[in-house]
Amino acid sequence: MGPQELRDVALKINGTVHRLSVNANWTLNDALRNRLDLTGTKRACDYGGCGSCTVLLDGVDVYSCSILAVEAQEKDIQTIEGLGDGENPHPLQKSFALSYAAQCGWCTPGMIMSAKALLDGNPNPSEAEVRMALSGVLCRCTGYSSIVQAVLDAARVMRGES
Amino acid sequence: MSEALRTVGQSVAPIYGMEKAAGTVRFPADINLPNMLWMKILRSPHAHARIVAVDKSIAGKIPGVVAILTHRDVPKVLFGAYQNEIYPLDEEVRFVGDTVVAVAAEDWNIAEEATRALRVSYDILPAIQDPEAGSKSDSPDAVLHYPPSEELRPGDIRPDQLGTFGNIIGLREGGPTVANERGDVERGFQESDVVVERVFRQAQVGAVSHEPRACVALYENGSCTLWCSVQDPYRLQDGVARVLGLAMEKVRVIATNLGGAFGVKVTGRFAVLCALLARQTGRPVKIWFTREEESLDSHNRSALTHYVKAGAKKDGSLTALKVRTFLDNGYWPYGGLGQNIAFAICTRPIDLYHKCPNVKWEVYAVRTNRPSTGPYRGRADAESHFPIESVMDELAEGIQMDPIEFRLKNRLHEGDDLCSAPNKVVSTVWVEEAAQAGAKAIGWERRSLAGSLNQGPRKKGIGMAMVIHSCGSNPAGTSEAEVTIDDEGNISLFSGTADQGSEQQTTLRQMVAEVLSVSLDDVGGSNADTSTCPYDSGPFSSRTVYATGIAASRAAEQAKTKLLEAASLLLDEPIDQLVISNNLIWSRRETSRRVTLGELARLAGGSISGKGIHNGKDDRLFAYGFAAAFAEVEVDVETGQVKVLRLISSHDVGRAINPMIVEGQILGGALQGLGYALSEGFYFDPRTGTALNQWFLDLHTPSILDAPNIEPVIVELGEPTHPFGAKGCSEISYVGVAPAIANAVYHATGARVTELPMTPDVVLKALQDAKGSVA
Repeated sequence: MGPQELRDVALKINGTVHRLSVNANWTLNDALRNRLDLTGTKRACDYGGCGSCTVLLDGVDVYSCSILAVEAQEKDIQTIEGLGDGENPHPLQKSFALSYAAQCGWCTPGMIMSAKALLDGNPNPSEAEVRMALSGVLCRCTGYSSIVQAVLDAARVMRGES
Repeated sequence: MSEALRTVGQSVAPIYGMEKAAGTVRFPADINLPNMLWMKILRSPHAHARIVAVDKSIAGKIPGVVAILTHRDVPKVLFGAYQNEIYPLDEEVRFVGDTVVAVAAEDWNIAEEATRALRVSYDILPAIQDPEAGSKSDSPDAVLHYPPSEELRPGDIRPDQLGTFGNIIGLREGGPTVANERGDVERGFQESDVVVERVFRQAQVGAVSHEPRACVALYENGSCTLWCSVQDPYRLQDGVARVLGLAMEKVRVIATNLGGAFGVKVTGRFAVLCALLARQTGRPVKIWFTREEESLDSHNRSALTHYVKAGAKKDGSLTALKVRTFLDNGYWPYGGLGQNIAFAICTRPIDLYHKCPNVKWEVYAVRTNRPSTGPYRGRADAESHFPIESVMDELAEGIQMDPIEFRLKNRLHEGDDLCSAPNKVVSTVWVEEAAQAGAKAIGWERRSLAGSLNQGPRKKGIGMAMVIHSCGSNPAGTSEAEVTIDDEGNISLFSGTADQGSEQQTTLRQMVAEVLSVSLDDVGGSNADTSTCPYDSGPFSSRTVYATGIAASRAAEQAKTKLLEAASLLLDEPIDQLVISNNLIWSRRETSRRVTLGELARLAGGSISGKGIHNGKDDRLFAYGFAAAFAEVEVDVETGQVKVLRLISSHDVGRAINPMIVEGQILGGALQGLGYALSEGFYFDPRTGTALNQWFLDLHTPSILDAPNIEPVIVELGEPTHPFGAKGCSEISYVGVAPAIANAVYHATGARVTELPMTPDVVLKALQDAKGSVA
């Protein structure tokens, strides 16, 4: 199969199945951003160097730039758009928005998706666990401390603590 | 400002915060239009060459390729970032990565395949890889062809002023580009009790904005709209209008939100070519840089070499400072960027140490066949403070004086004249307060003059640096703002500045809300859209909160005056008997006599608006920002690893309009400064000029695991030239980190590190040199 040979794929994204034609060499990031207009997922490098493109694949945080669209079939793909919106934000989105943990906003969706993968498995992480879990996503703006605090704050809200 | 403020001074949530967290904010790269083509650039594999021929025959036949532009296909019209000095495409290519051909195709794969199928023959020319070597009179020229002078505008540097002087940018044969001289340095050294001489070298670094530059161009009915990652949308509007031969109002540039910029996202070829392709194909065209392109086709902080000699007397007075600096300007032909940076390098530190009587600082900004360098965060001061603050530390030790006391003895004071801003005097200087607050935070009293007494391989030390940087006063900058109230009472601020992450629109709206005594939620508006927003030179030199803030406050004041005048007539009350608050104006004497702001706008024909402008060249008082950085480090003398245990970043911010945003900017800038200090460097093959580490991981920007405990300290003592007393502070936090860490490493080990980044090999070499000098 040549790189530009078209393939029909079915991608289950945020609970909805999307059927589309992709080139065999397109990454999941290409398909999300350039064909489905799901541009909440970013891209800053395209080879697994920064984490801006992080999405969840069956609940695991992965780089959407490093997975081919054809490989992502029959998986449950979650992107930032599926987490919540301005009206009904996820606690992580709310804490990032309120505490200036999103400065330029480019790494933010990746950070939030990585944080979600952490909190889904560990609702009460320590600061060190948060740092370790988010170490696959780089940020150039914040110095990171507001991000760590936003994740800890969201975890508290999700645990039902005030 | 004694009365209580409602919104200014509050850490309100950033207005774009939720859109960013929800992923719904549309950056230029997120614009997808129906029927859109994708553009790719073929880049030069040679550092310096003349294009002999471009064979498009194979590429042109690839199905899905729609248009190919070579230098023969584009208008020979100049445009540029600071002055009009480049063509959309040129016959001469001047660095590895320079733009050669632009292709538009049905998708990004096809466009890329087409660039690979292009056959270009080059006539390879001698290239300049090193600014010092390139500055010699017998050196080949890094730039052969200068655009003709009739293309330039009044005030621009003419080619006949430059072209004959080799590679040194400047108007004197043999250079330097700029010299700052006063007194007699040689006599100063004779009078000194201590003289220090050092050579400092700093690697090139990139801004590494996470959003790679993007542009989407749409050409319809003789008008062109561009969504583009630029901090200077009005400059790009001018460039596109010039190249496409359109009236300015036929070009619209939208740059509302950028995914980081840090000074370097200025008008470039990619956007102009995108517009040309959109016109030629009649379809929307999108270009989105790869990370490699973002690293190369940018304006990085120059690599630098400084030869420094400095002297002081035992009483703590600085006697003389002599510096020769070489700056790699890159390929940009006229070097408008480098000229300004060179000037600031040799003047700002001299202003900070205003009392130094004898100065000779020469800067050679040299054209090379390397990527362009330019105004990255902390522009010019990050370049100059590493050597100066290292030398200040060494002089203080030489005369057995506390490093803070020594610096403060020689510092700038309120009302002093400025060599960095001729004919202007500095307004407030809260540097002593910032230094003392920082010293208190780190526990400076723990630092003994004798240096570290640590046993074992891990040595701890504390160091500091004091810095000056632009806080928004900029003689070259103009900001306009408009505030409107419509008949439903909606208040809008229109400002030309892009939000590149510092959330200035939040801060600006806080000022507008304060002036009009309304809640922040009542203020909306838009920003950085050339068709709806008034002119702004852009968010550079930390000028938005200061300069655009003055313009926005003035616009709000004018709108308020108009509202009060209208209410005075309507309610038949003198203005001084009226109160404006919560979207109402009422009579102090009879509070039931009232009118809403919306009603006033309706009666005025639908809207009431105010305009404000700030023009930097009009002010005699010049505002500067000051800061002090303090670092506590642990140096492993066996491995050369430097671990920063604590970093204090103490800032004269005048007044924090939004303390949460101010702290966020300080933290982020300080971590970038830490990257500059310890890990970041952008390197090139010295023979070919090919970049060696243009990929994300290899640029070594700090990760969440590298980030130390950074503590911001905010000093709020006001600034009389700003309506709310604010100074911009988004860049200055970068500047002091590297010298503070270097001074802490010295305090810990007795080894003076004179090279950035301070990677383990560099530190180990400094440790060996220190051992050698003791033995």
